Amino acid sequence: MMEEEKGAEEQQRFSYQQRLKAAVHYTVGHLCEEVASDKEMQFSKQTIAAISEVTFQQCENFARDLEMFARHAKRSTINTEDVKLLARRSNSLLKYITEKNEDIAQFNLERKAKKKKKLEDENKNSVEPAEAGVVESEN
Amino acid sequence: MEEIGVGFRKELVSKLLHLHFKDDKTKVSGDALQLTAELLKIFVVEAAIRSVRQAQAEDLAQVDVEQLEKVLPQLLLDF
Repeated sequence: MMEEEKGAEEQQRFSYQQRLKAAVHYTVGHLCEEVASDKEMQFSKQTIAAISEVTFQQCENFARDLEMFARHAKRSTINTEDVKLLARRSNSLLKYITEKNEDIAQFNLERKAKKKKKLEDENKNSVEPAEAGVVESEN
Repeated sequence: MEEIGVGFRKELVSKLLHLHFKDDKTKVSGDALQLTAELLKIFVVEAAIRSVRQAQAEDLAQVDVEQLEKVLPQLLLDF
């Protein structure tokens, strides 16, 4: 009975992984297409599949490292500092990721400010005086 | 080579990471997911561009697995 259950569980995990791999392959295909047209050089299908496979495997390393970095800092939520640590091996990579992080933070800040303004404008326009609180939506 | 449009969706990145976590309680912040998506994108783009450079150096008309194999060791060392 235990053996059957374990077998079914493994089977499920395997097909789940296959679906994730397919999703990765889809994005990798698009990225390679962009590089191919920019550099005017074609990729064989096998090459795209191989890049996709390596990327999927690299995710395992990233996930394990991120989890350990957060735990080392006594946190259970992985944050951007942990992700930056992943990029430590190459100076140019670290610089690129640090800049991207600032772009993302800036973008999210502006998005929150726009939402807050929108809420304030809507409150001003309503007949009843509204509550002054700002709703914290996503994380 | 400037801005690349497409990238990894946050949902997919989240699932990919959670697949390998040892602890059920481990979570990832939204910003960290976005940044990881960027990291993955650059990983793929680097693999692609370096393979292209290798193929160009070998005077080939297309990139095959052999070219990727040659650039893979350094790529993995850089990440």
